[in-house]
Amino acid sequence: MADAPLPQPELLAAIPRLRRYARVLARDAARADDLVQETLARGWEKRRLWQAGTDLRAWLFTIMHNVFVNQRAGAAREAANVSLDAESEAGGGAWQVPVPAAQFARVELAEILQQVGRLPVEQRETLLLAAVEEMRYEEIAVMMSVPVGTVMSRLSRAREKLRRMTDERPAALKRVK
Amino acid sequence: MLAITDDDLMAYADGQLAGERREAVEQALARDAALAARVASIREQNAALRDALDPWLAEAIPPRLIAAAEGRAGGGRLLRMWPALAAAATLVLGIAVGWFGRDAMLERSGMPTTFARQAALTHVLYAADQRRPVEVWANEEAGLVRWLTRRLSFDAHVPDLNPLGFALVGGRLVAGNEKPTALVMYENAEKQRLTLQWRVTNEKAGEPGETSFRYSLENGVGVFYWIEDECAYALSGPLDRAQLLAVARVVYGQLATPSKPAPAASPPGGSVPKTTPEQPRVQG
Repeated sequence: MADAPLPQPELLAAIPRLRRYARVLARDAARADDLVQETLARGWEKRRLWQAGTDLRAWLFTIMHNVFVNQRAGAAREAANVSLDAESEAGGGAWQVPVPAAQFARVELAEILQQVGRLPVEQRETLLLAAVEEMRYEEIAVMMSVPVGTVMSRLSRAREKLRRMTDERPAALKRVK
Repeated sequence: MLAITDDDLMAYADGQLAGERREAVEQALARDAALAARVASIREQNAALRDALDPWLAEAIPPRLIAAAEGRAGGGRLLRMWPALAAAATLVLGIAVGWFGRDAMLERSGMPTTFARQAALTHVLYAADQRRPVEVWANEEAGLVRWLTRRLSFDAHVPDLNPLGFALVGGRLVAGNEKPTALVMYENAEKQRLTLQWRVTNEKAGEPGETSFRYSLENGVGVFYWIEDECAYALSGPLDRAQLLAVARVVYGQLATPSKPAPAASPPGGSVPKTTPEQPRVQG
């Protein structure tokens, strides 16, 4: 382990962001932490592939994306008849993540979280990376192994859906009144 | 003239356009209020998403993930397959590192150590952030103080550490597991960053008027923490214990002063040194 250690402070500092990314992917706090643990273990296994001075967070994000995609593909093979694509992804929408109400001074923030949870996984993943992590579209495209155009169309669809969900709510309230 | 596409607007709102296209979008926005409104709406959505998702960043990190980050717990798959084994391993690990024993000890002595550990992790998280280490920058200090005061329901005072060579970078609110925590960050000429974090607490400082500084080294980050006037404070940074203590004493002195009546003999101009409040004992 002494040959090419990953930098400890940066690695520890990356954990909260890895956990957040994992939650956005898995929508389940326990599964998300399993994903983070697996990612960190892979990071150590592959540490010789990391180039000192480059963005460790982006490198770990890429590992996590791949671990998640492979796990999903494996799960899909096991349950051949169960579709894991947009339909079931967009259906449930519930986060299996504790969200202490006290964290949210504004009620709408909890709602935004719920709405993000209802997006298909590729869209909420792209939205997190671009809007929240502020990564460049090109960087995201490399990470997810898709063209930049795909990143932008996922992003634009995610934003449009969120906007519609937000717009629909006050309309419904007006009807009730 | 270049046609402005939806993708251009989105990329502009995300700060990802440069050069000619950026200029073209800016010109179009100046002409067309509807386009400007769409950019504003994307930016509002981004800000709302960050507000909604940032609180997760401040949660306490489970020991098994810290172990994994240190390259100690290699068998992620094995642990996932055996939840009971995972629980046992975490417990053994916890005892080995002394988390539980130390937590219990410190909690009995009146200060939840989780605050110090959280402060250290929050420090590492934001001090390493080059782009957005703070939400409100130092040039809006008055607004920062008002905002933090309102959100914590506690009078915020931002200590002046310029005499020690640390200039204010700015501040942010950190949504902790229990209560919101205020954070202000300082930086010196060597780009070393210090953070001071505080939150309102129900814990008592021990005997009335008796505060003690406690020191804790959390994953390489030194933290001095103390309780004073219903607030728990934590000062974190890459300094050694003695240096950090010196800064903590200055911070303590400045925070304690405003709540006390000003010395009667204080002449206009305030050139006379402040009366230094009685300094706390040091523990840990």
